[in-house]
Amino acid sequence: MDIPHEWFVGFSKSFGLFYLIALSVGITAYAFWPSLGNRFDKAAKSILDDEDGPARGDDGSDPEDEPCR
Amino acid sequence: MMSNLTRAERANAMVIAGTGAFIGLVMAAAGRGDPMGAHGWIVLAFCGALFFVVGSAYEDPEPTQDRTASYYDDPTKVGILIALFWAVVGMGMGVWVASQLAWPDLRFDAAWSSFGRIRPVHTSGVIFGFGGNALIATSFHIMQRTCRARMPDQVTPWFVLLGFNLFCIVASSGYLMGVTQSKEYAEPEWYADLWLVVVWVVYFVLYIRTLARRNEPHIYVANWYYLAFILVVAVLHIVNNLAVPASLTGAKSYSAFAGVQDAMTQWWYGHNAVAFFLTSGFLGMLYYFLPKRAERPIYSYRLSILSFWGITFFYIWAGSHHLHYTALPHWVQTLGMTFSVMLLVPSWASAGNALMTLNGAWHKVRDDATLRFMMVAAVFYGLSTFEGSFMAIRPVNGLSHYTDWTVGHVHAGAMGWVALISFGSIYALAPVLWRRETIYSWKAVEWHFWLALAGTVIYVFAMWNSGITQGLMWRTYTESGTLAYSFTDTLVAMHPYYVARTFGGLLFLIGACIGAWNVVMTIRRMPSETPERDYPTSSESREPALPAAE
Amino acid sequence: MMKFIRTLLKPFAAFFEAHAKTHYRLERHSMGLTVGIIIAAGVGGFIEIAPLFTIDDTVEAAPDMRLYTPLEQAGRDIYIREGCYACHSQMIRTLRDEVERYGPYSLAVESQYDHPMLWGSKRTGPDLARLGEKYSDDWHVRHLVNPRDLVPESVMPQYAFLLEAGLDTDSLPDRLAALRAVGVPYTDEMIANADSDALGQAMPDTERSDGVFERYGDETAVRNFDDRPGRLTEMDALVAYLQILGQLTDLPEQTQILPEE
Repeated sequence: MDIPHEWFVGFSKSFGLFYLIALSVGITAYAFWPSLGNRFDKAAKSILDDEDGPARGDDGSDPEDEPCR
Repeated sequence: MMSNLTRAERANAMVIAGTGAFIGLVMAAAGRGDPMGAHGWIVLAFCGALFFVVGSAYEDPEPTQDRTASYYDDPTKVGILIALFWAVVGMGMGVWVASQLAWPDLRFDAAWSSFGRIRPVHTSGVIFGFGGNALIATSFHIMQRTCRARMPDQVTPWFVLLGFNLFCIVASSGYLMGVTQSKEYAEPEWYADLWLVVVWVVYFVLYIRTLARRNEPHIYVANWYYLAFILVVAVLHIVNNLAVPASLTGAKSYSAFAGVQDAMTQWWYGHNAVAFFLTSGFLGMLYYFLPKRAERPIYSYRLSILSFWGITFFYIWAGSHHLHYTALPHWVQTLGMTFSVMLLVPSWASAGNALMTLNGAWHKVRDDATLRFMMVAAVFYGLSTFEGSFMAIRPVNGLSHYTDWTVGHVHAGAMGWVALISFGSIYALAPVLWRRETIYSWKAVEWHFWLALAGTVIYVFAMWNSGITQGLMWRTYTESGTLAYSFTDTLVAMHPYYVARTFGGLLFLIGACIGAWNVVMTIRRMPSETPERDYPTSSESREPALPAAE
Repeated sequence: MMKFIRTLLKPFAAFFEAHAKTHYRLERHSMGLTVGIIIAAGVGGFIEIAPLFTIDDTVEAAPDMRLYTPLEQAGRDIYIREGCYACHSQMIRTLRDEVERYGPYSLAVESQYDHPMLWGSKRTGPDLARLGEKYSDDWHVRHLVNPRDLVPESVMPQYAFLLEAGLDTDSLPDRLAALRAVGVPYTDEMIANADSDALGQAMPDTERSDGVFERYGDETAVRNFDDRPGRLTEMDALVAYLQILGQLTDLPEQTQILPEE
């Protein structure tokens, strides 16, 4: 554990920058990826009508939607 | 309420409460002659009372209907009421501390009633007591609705809610006895901190377990904000509170960090408590209750994702702007300043997203005070994040730091944003939770709204004026090059503003009292609504499911 | 241009397409979200804080830096208990008016034994970083008993009860031991004699006070701070602490360069 202070500061400054750029690009790509649009719209609307109790599963919905326990 | 628990669950609850009471007894015995002993008695009384409440209902009949057909809302209901109780207590303490600065003799002569001891009762009371309970209660509500799944069990939510309130009680009673670490917004001593870690881990696990049961493919964005709130607060809390107790039988402990490292750690915690306790969680509230109340989906879901990651990533760097011109290395100050300014982008994206959601529903904002609470909260969120970024710029901070400008900024955020979104959400939630036709008095909601808004504006303007005045007086020079004002001169100039801020805070407190009264009356007096769709059904088919055989 | 970007993004497309098709597998496992949040939020704090722990390499060393005596540390604990830090800072910034009002700006080394630091965030009252030996003990006692006797405009609370409260010295060895555990270089001897040294510092010209000089140096202020002989009160401890503020090292006076405008 004998890392000099200057190295630490240098690492913080340079790595921090690359990390920032990589994260921004990744998140922007994710948020604007065209094929995800439908999911987002559906999610945004899903909360407007949700007082009817927990979903029960046997409603003919996609089996993928089964609660994963 | 107890009728929704099975006998096994009641037994579990009694075991947990009994264990808590035993721990309280041990603390009381070990900490004799120390404030820790008094805390032991408090823990014993709290857990003992719970033990008897559950125990006296142990033999009551068990639930007969299929519980999985409905959401579990009992802890949410209790959480909302506790949050309102803490709002009145915490804000009442705030008015008292504020008036002590205007009229110092209002301190009376007891040791426990000095500004230094009751100020943290105010800050913890409103942040953790009111804000924390509102967050926990609404998170229980939102995670079940957005997942279309009931919570995985009945005892855990009670443990989280009541355990958190035990923490709040131990914290605020401790301050009055002089038990404090002096770390701002993290004052409670080591045993309270340890207890909060336990509660918080259980809270996180409960959240994840509910998410895992969800019937929606996508996790709605409000949950992201709540999850960030739970997770990051845990990390902050653990690191910032690392300490060595002087003795296992006493309350006093010493921070693991000293000097400049401690300063950076404390403000890394302090600013991110603002970020993840007072912003992230409440944005979760906003992203659920505002679209729902306006009956329009959020303006841009994509933007909400972007601003989520923006806030999560940028905020964590901003803490060092609390340490401009201090002995903290210059590059860390600059980094904090830069990120604080960049933070404006995701913050305004969130505020703009909320306001754009209301576009086309402005007539609702005009007529519906509940929605207006949320709208004004979003406006104040935008204002105070702009102010925050501005104040983080080093030369501006040179003027504002150590003055009431900071206090005004915090309260613009805390009263204008956090409290208003909470009250708006509570008004939206109360009739739904208790299945009442509507809130007891719409007039009272209007009164609350205008009192809260007026109180906030008066408070914030008073603090802007006093802060900028004092900051400028401190750095005013005479023509001969000497400092123009003594410290006492600046203090005298503050008096009228201190009176005004007390008045503003009083208006806000009256509003909160009206709100608490209104919710209680809604529960007690309003006829219950025959719920339109209060039968088990999936979101798609709208057909009643068969009651499960018991 | 668009074509170029498309080519560039192609490898990622597979990820997002698969993601959309499989109902967000990544998110579905909410632990993915959890890890994402921890990474996004964790790195910033680490990058800012970690280098500060190697800062000792570069920070000015102050060879004359002394430790708080047990009495002063007890006073510091009272200062924390009463929440004095809520209204008084202990950090003079590198601004001209602050240096002229309060004295040389604060250095990092001055609070290197402060667990926790008390830099403060608000000056409802003045900064106290260089308060030590500015006023007499008697002034402090009278000011704490009723601030408005000496400063009529003051809004500070009265602390008369400190005169009546006897100081608990029994816990001092434990307190010093805990401080050593977090890095303050107290010796075994200092810890063992902590309670006696606390008494001795307020009892000039006794055997006990000799021990204080021996362990903490000849510069130590050994006085009966509250002018009430025969009983060690919390007032003694608090005044002893207030009188040491800014007195732990002479370094700031020696090294001070021109502050920023």
